[in-house]
Amino acid sequence: MPDEIALKVSNLDVHYKDFQALWNVFLEAQKGEIVSVIGANGAGKSTLLNTIAGLLAPTQGAIECLGEKIDGLPPYKIVPIGITLVPEGRRIFPRLTVYENLIMGSYTPRTRSSRNEALKKIYQLFPVLKDRHNQMGDTLSGGEQQMLAIGRALMSNPKLILCDEISLGLAPVVIKSIYGRLRQINQEGITIVLVEQDIKRSLKVANRAYIMLEGKMVLEGEPSSISEEQVRKAYFGI
Amino acid sequence: MVKYKWPILGVLFVGFATVPVWGSEYVLLFCLLYCLYLAMSQMWNLLAGYTSLLSLGQQAFIGFSGYAVAVLTNYYGVYIWLSVLIGGFFSVLLALFMSLFIFRMRGIYFAIGTWIFAEMLLLWFSNWKYVKYGTGLFIKPPHPPSMTTIYYASLIMGAGATAAIYIILRSKIGLGLMAMRDDEDVSEAMGVEIFRSKLFCFMVGSFITGLTAGVLYVFQIFIQPYKAFAIDWTVILVFIVIIGGIGTIEGPIVGTFIYVLLSQWLAEYAHISLLLLGIIAITIILLAPTGIMGTLHQKTGFAILSPRRL
Amino acid sequence: MESLLQPILNGVLLGGLYAVIAIGMSTMFGIVKLVNLAHGDLMIMSSYLSLVIVAWLGVNPLWSLLGVVPVMFFVGFFIQDFLINRVLGKEMEPPLLVAFGLSIIVQNFLLLIFTPDARSLTTDLAVKTIPLGEHLNLAVLYLVDFLLGGAVILAVYLFFKNTYMGRAIRAASDDEMGASLMGVNTRKIYAYAMGIAMMTAGVAGVLVGMTFTFYPHTGPQYLIIAMGVVIIGGLGSMKGCLAGGLILALAQLLGAHFTSPGYQLLFGYGALLVVLGLRPQGLFGGKI
Repeated sequence: MPDEIALKVSNLDVHYKDFQALWNVFLEAQKGEIVSVIGANGAGKSTLLNTIAGLLAPTQGAIECLGEKIDGLPPYKIVPIGITLVPEGRRIFPRLTVYENLIMGSYTPRTRSSRNEALKKIYQLFPVLKDRHNQMGDTLSGGEQQMLAIGRALMSNPKLILCDEISLGLAPVVIKSIYGRLRQINQEGITIVLVEQDIKRSLKVANRAYIMLEGKMVLEGEPSSISEEQVRKAYFGI
Repeated sequence: MVKYKWPILGVLFVGFATVPVWGSEYVLLFCLLYCLYLAMSQMWNLLAGYTSLLSLGQQAFIGFSGYAVAVLTNYYGVYIWLSVLIGGFFSVLLALFMSLFIFRMRGIYFAIGTWIFAEMLLLWFSNWKYVKYGTGLFIKPPHPPSMTTIYYASLIMGAGATAAIYIILRSKIGLGLMAMRDDEDVSEAMGVEIFRSKLFCFMVGSFITGLTAGVLYVFQIFIQPYKAFAIDWTVILVFIVIIGGIGTIEGPIVGTFIYVLLSQWLAEYAHISLLLLGIIAITIILLAPTGIMGTLHQKTGFAILSPRRL
Repeated sequence: MESLLQPILNGVLLGGLYAVIAIGMSTMFGIVKLVNLAHGDLMIMSSYLSLVIVAWLGVNPLWSLLGVVPVMFFVGFFIQDFLINRVLGKEMEPPLLVAFGLSIIVQNFLLLIFTPDARSLTTDLAVKTIPLGEHLNLAVLYLVDFLLGGAVILAVYLFFKNTYMGRAIRAASDDEMGASLMGVNTRKIYAYAMGIAMMTAGVAGVLVGMTFTFYPHTGPQYLIIAMGVVIIGGLGSMKGCLAGGLILALAQLLGAHFTSPGYQLLFGYGALLVVLGLRPQGLFGGKI
C-alpha cells in the first residue's frame, strides 16, 4: 500500500513558556517517502522534529504515527512505536565506545532480541564504525559521529526516522556519502523526514517538501514544483 | 498593599518595641527568639537567595563570635555589649580568612567549603585548652544585663538585619546582584563587580550573624563547641528561609514565625520539631518551590518589602 | 621509621573503608550532579538496620548485609523517584536542599526510635589481630573493611562497564536528551542508579557500624568524609574514589600520629582544603 500514512501532524502549536514557536503546523509523510522540511534558522524546524519525537509537548494539535496517536507522549513511549530522531548536533555519548553507543540504540525490549542482526547490518552500511567499535565516541571525526548517530537510530529498528541537520559542519564528500546511505535506508522501506539547511541537496533527494517560515508552514509540494523564488521568499521574506 | 506599607511596618515595629510593657514573660521570650532567628535567617537569605552563595557554614560565625564574647567578658572583663560588637568584627575577620579559600569555589563546592570550615572550628575549639575543650564556657559579666535589655538588643538585630537586606538590595549592589540572579550572562559580563558585591554581602552576612549570635549567647549564658558549631544552626536557617520563601524579604519574616512557634510548641521534643520542619521544607520545595511568600506573591502580587524599584 | 608503619598500614586499610563510604555519593554526582547531603545519614540508617537484624536473628553483622543491601536499594530507588527526580532541572539548589531536608528527617527519625545512645555492631573480629612484626599488627576488622570495600568498588565498576543497565546509566549521564531519544526513561534510570548507590551505602553502613560506634547524629561526620574523598579524588571518578580514600585516611592517621589523636579529623580537613584550593576539580576529576 504505497499510500499508507506514516506520519500526520495537524494543527500543531508549541510554546516555550510564553513564546509560541509553532503555529498551526501540519505535515504528512506517506510510508516509504522522503519528506524534506526547509526553512531559515529559527523557522521552527527543529522544534517540529523535537515535538514529534516527544522531547517537547505540544499545546495544541495532533500527531499520528503509524496509526497511533503520539502527541504528548514521552520519548520512551514513542521510540518503541518505531520513530527515532537523529538529533541536531548528533548527541552521541562521548564516554561510551562506538559499540556501546550502537547497542544503546536498541534499548527498547522489542529490539533487544534482534540486536546482533541489526548491529551486523549497520556495520555493513557503515564499515568505519566496525573498525572503530572499541573507540570512545568523542574520538570520532564529525562525519563518523554522524554515521554513528544514524546507525544508533537504526538500531531501534524504526519505521520512521527524523533527521535534524545531518550535514551540518561536514565536508561535501562526507555529506554525499551519508546521503547515499540515506537513500539505501529509504529503499528498505523506512520513511525519512529531513530537516536541512542544505536546500539543494535535500530537495534533490526528497519526494515531497515543506517550507517553514517563522513557525508556520507556508508551502507544500513536489520539489520540482518549488521555485527558487519561493525558497528565497521563505528564507529572506522577499 | 504597597500603599499601606509604612503604616503596617510602623504598627509592627511599635508592637515589637513595646513588648516588655504589654507582653508576658513568655511573649517576651518568644519575641526575643523571633528577632534573633529573623536576623540570622535574613542573612542566610541574603547569601543564598540573592547572592547565590549557598553557605552551609553559618554556624562558623555563630560559634566563633559567641566564643569571642565569652572569652572577652570572662578573661578580659570587657563590657558585655562591647564584646558582642567585637565578636561581630571577629566574625568578619573569619569571613575574610575563609573567603581566601572558598571564594574560588562555586556552587556546591562553596557550600561544602563553608561547612568544612565550621567543622574545623568545632574540632579546634573542642581540643583547645584555652576555651576549656568541649566542656564549654559560662558567660559571666559582672553586671548581667536584664531580660528587657537583651530583648531590645535582639530587636535591634532583627529589625536591623531586615533593614540592612532591604537597603543593600535597593542599592547599586543589589541591582547588580538581582540582574545576575535573573540572567547568568550578565554576571559573566560584570565579573569583578559581581565578585566585589558577593564579597561585600558575605562580610555583611558574617557581621550581622556574628552580632546576633553574640546577643544570643548573652541570653543563653553558656557556650559549648558541639552546640555552637553544629550544623543544626544552618539547618534551621535553611528551613526558615525555604518555608517562608527564598529570595524574598518577607519570606524569613513568616518562616521564622513558623519555626519559633513550632520549636516552642514542641520544646520538649526538639527532634520532632526538626522532623516536622524537614517534612514541611521538602513538601514546600516539591510543591511550591518559592515558599509561602513567593507563592503568595506570584498568585496575588502581594509584596510589602519588594526590593525592586518599580 | 618503624613506628610509622602502623599508621601507614592502618591508613591504607581505612582508606578502603573511606572509599566505599564515598563511592555511592561519587556515582550519583557523576550521573545527576546530585550532591546527596543525606548520604551519611542513610548510611548510618543502614547501620541501625543491621543492628535490628542482628538483635532479631542473632547473626553476625556480616550476614545482615543480605537484608540491609536489598532494603537500601528500594530506599534509594524511592528517594530518587519520589523526591529528587521531581526537582531535577537546571538549578542545582533544589535537589541539594531536598537531600539536606532528608538528612535532617533521617537523623531525627533515628533519634526518635533508637534514642541518642551510642551503638555498635559487635563481632568477635573486633579484637583479632595478626602480628606482622614486633611493632606492627594487622587488625582483622580493618582488613575485612578493606577487602569488602574493595570488592564493592570493583563490583560497581564492573556493573557500569559491562552491564546493559550500567551502560544506559552512563549514557544518560553523558547526554540526558540523547539517552531519552534512545527510548531510555532517564528518570527511572536515575532511580535505579540511586538504588545502587544506596546499596553501597548499605555495605558501608554495616562496615562502619562494625568498626566504630555510631549514634543518630553520626551521619554528617561520614558525609564529610565522603565529600572529602570525592573532592580529593575528583567528583564522579572511580579511580579517584580509591585514591581519595587513601589520601584522606593517611593524612588523618599520620597527622594524628605526629600530634594527638584529637586532631585526626582536622588533618583530614586540612588535606581537603589544600586540594580544594590548589585543584578544585580534584586529583582525577576533569574540568567541571
